[in-house]
Amino acid sequence: MKIHDILIVGAGLTGLRAAFEGITADLDVAVLTKVHPLRSHSCAAQGGVNAAIDKDDDWRDHAYDTVKGADFIGDEDSIELMCKEAPQAVLDLDDLGCPFSRNEDGSIAQRAFGGASFARTAYAADRTGHAMLHTLWEQAIKHGTHIYQEYHLLKIIKNKLGHACGVVAMEIATGKLEVIRAKTVLIATGGYGRVYKANTNAMINTGDGIALAMKAGANLADLEFVQFHPTGLKTSGILISEGVRGEGAYLIGKDGKRFMSKYAPNKLELASRDVVSRSEAMEIMAGNGVDGAVFLDVRHLGRDLILERLPQIRQLSIDFEGVDPVDKPIPVRPTCHYTMGGIRTEKLGQTNVKGLYSAGEASCTSVHGANRLGANSLLETIVFGKFVGKEMVRFIKQDYIQQEDLTVDEDVCKDTVELLNKIKNQSSESGIRPAILREKLTEAMNKFVGVFRNEELLAQGLEKILEVKADFEKVCVDDKSDCFNTDLLTTLELGNLILLAEATVKSALERKESRGAHTREEYPARDDENYRKHTIASINDKGHVVISYEPVRLVNNDRYKPVERVY
Amino acid sequence: MIELKKQVTFNIHRMGEDKKPYLETFQLECTEATTVLQALETIKADLDGSLTFRRSCRASICGSCGMFINNRSRLACRTKVKDMVDLNSDEELILEISPQKNQPVIKDLVVDITPFYEKIEKNNPFIQEGSEKVEQVDKTSYEQVNMVSNCIMCGSCYSDCTALAENKNYLGPAALAKMFRFVADPREGQKKKRLKELSKKNGIWDCTRCGLCIDACPKGVAPMEAIVKLRTRAIESGITNNKGAKHAMVFKNDLAKGGLLNEFWMILKTFGLFGAIKQLPNAVHLAKKGKIPPIFSEKVEGFEEIDAIFKQLKENPINVETKKEDDGPGAG
Repeated sequence: MKIHDILIVGAGLTGLRAAFEGITADLDVAVLTKVHPLRSHSCAAQGGVNAAIDKDDDWRDHAYDTVKGADFIGDEDSIELMCKEAPQAVLDLDDLGCPFSRNEDGSIAQRAFGGASFARTAYAADRTGHAMLHTLWEQAIKHGTHIYQEYHLLKIIKNKLGHACGVVAMEIATGKLEVIRAKTVLIATGGYGRVYKANTNAMINTGDGIALAMKAGANLADLEFVQFHPTGLKTSGILISEGVRGEGAYLIGKDGKRFMSKYAPNKLELASRDVVSRSEAMEIMAGNGVDGAVFLDVRHLGRDLILERLPQIRQLSIDFEGVDPVDKPIPVRPTCHYTMGGIRTEKLGQTNVKGLYSAGEASCTSVHGANRLGANSLLETIVFGKFVGKEMVRFIKQDYIQQEDLTVDEDVCKDTVELLNKIKNQSSESGIRPAILREKLTEAMNKFVGVFRNEELLAQGLEKILEVKADFEKVCVDDKSDCFNTDLLTTLELGNLILLAEATVKSALERKESRGAHTREEYPARDDENYRKHTIASINDKGHVVISYEPVRLVNNDRYKPVERVY
Repeated sequence: MIELKKQVTFNIHRMGEDKKPYLETFQLECTEATTVLQALETIKADLDGSLTFRRSCRASICGSCGMFINNRSRLACRTKVKDMVDLNSDEELILEISPQKNQPVIKDLVVDITPFYEKIEKNNPFIQEGSEKVEQVDKTSYEQVNMVSNCIMCGSCYSDCTALAENKNYLGPAALAKMFRFVADPREGQKKKRLKELSKKNGIWDCTRCGLCIDACPKGVAPMEAIVKLRTRAIESGITNNKGAKHAMVFKNDLAKGGLLNEFWMILKTFGLFGAIKQLPNAVHLAKKGKIPPIFSEKVEGFEEIDAIFKQLKENPINVETKKEDDGPGAG
């Protein structure tokens, strides 16, 4: 049986960047993805990528902004690696052909983003992720990276020593199950923002890799930290970029007045995302919203500027909200955007399962801590894609012992086949349609695990989630075929979301403080004495989701000492 | 305002595992805000889970949900039902959806995207080293690159391309637009080699310039304009020893000479003597209809004006390396 050196699950920016490292080190690299690589959600990132490229900027300031933005719970070794390596990581992409926007003198142009002390966000027009993704895909083609395209991940397999040694996946077009073996497996499957009803995420963002890594014994961390973006469109949740506020847009309430001065007197609309989302939620609760939304107002910028600099945003608003921002403010609300938590890793992507690595939004390294700064996510993908890729190459060349993967249980697919058959064989009379469960799950997350949380709400949320979990045993599908059965696959995705929802609520219940994106009404202050630590969620011997803790990785830099976050 | 809500009929061209196509009808209440993708999602969730289509971002950036909706390839996520049917009408509102054209169907609205991507992948879709590489870029360097960088590879142009319908080996609009992205990039080291390759059969000269790719593109990429620019660059680089370029040059020279195309000489000059003989059946067919042109044509009336245009062009050539305001063919 063929054994790849590196198998990467997920073909977004992280996965393709890691593939580049592996293949240019002459290893056998394969990438597995449930969609075509160019349809990965990385393509949707508009704003840009942070890097202290400018001679007046300093990576140490970038690191401090990130430590502070993370509300002092990010791992400082990872943050320093990311910020120090950021300029080179951006220049790497530039060398490979990414058309980053330029200044007059030909240097890479940079714009301002929230929570940053310097305008250090490099960009390619308003399609930065798209341009970067195309560039890395081009390299994958150039170097002949093997791509398992439209393959759905079903299970991460381990050998008898407990080391990750491949996956079980389904070729979507045929329904055929395949065991794909590898010396190392990298999970780069992105986040699980679809667990909320109102979210800015693509429909593929169902955290498959995170949930299946957990089932394979990997620890997850900090799932309670979910970023609510301040400006998702009210009706569809489609994202309006932070760049709009960067251009000078106001947030106003029903009364037509700006309200951010009450909450962030210096940075106003450009405070960090957790602060702005919380402010919006408070205005809405105080009755200063309309239909659960406040308004993003660009009218004062004038028609010409809107047409020149924000044409796509204007079109999104017209297409999906029916509002032309030239004439009317855009209804927006805090909308689930990014999951800071994920598979717990060391600085170079190693998980607690040998041979299993993770990077990007799927992982919790943790560079974002309790709150991610805008344009640090694209940066995370290209820095950690690169360095986790290098680490896997090092592991294979130096530490890998060949005998390890000779034995895998012959019935490794058995439980997967049983699960698929069980769902397919469930009759529609006694079964429950997946759409009903999905609706119930995502509504519960919205209602009980939102911007403001308390014990009572979270307990109710957990109850609902456990109901959905129990009902999922009876889930049925209409499509019984093998060919391109998206009915079945989206149902499996729902199963992954249910597990992650349960782990998220349990993590949130146990964190009895307010930090970053996690706000507990009964514990309004940050509690560094008791909670400056990572929440670890894992599955115990009995199959239950259990919570434990792990210290934050610090680097003994006095500058990073926790202070009150003021913007 | 009372929300307008209407029953809409969705006629969907389906095909299951048995590969037999059939038409299925679903009824659904739609509002002015309903997108075709939302309608399909609702049908799948509530009525028939086996209805199969690709989708992901729902914000027209991932390119997954391209399909043929009311006689044109469109993205389901950015197509509003109300723009396809008149919700104010009292007649039955019918919306017809089928898979994209020019590609094999896998199931329902899902087509096999392999041929589409293979045509891009086999043409070196990455920046190459070489003598033509310019190291220093400036603010305007990517203006031509940006023109086609919006492409999300949704396949809409490929689906609606009339040249592809006749010749499945033709590279197609998206692949050629992607190639233009490299030819136009100052950092590309193999521009001329690319142009040579693209001037061969199934390349830039196979486009019929019908313009449907421009209409179908949901991102304003205008692939046909990129193709025309590739042609211009190819000729300017001296890559003229091919039928397409010869054909274009005969056109231009005939017009410059007398203002009138001489089809007789055009065929001879484009195809050569033996090639022209092969065209004889066509000539006979045309002769029967009285459509054979004179072998020697005179100057047309008002030739001075045509002459003036050519003089103007000669004095102010279209600079294909122009980075600023794009005033190339079909611009705007």
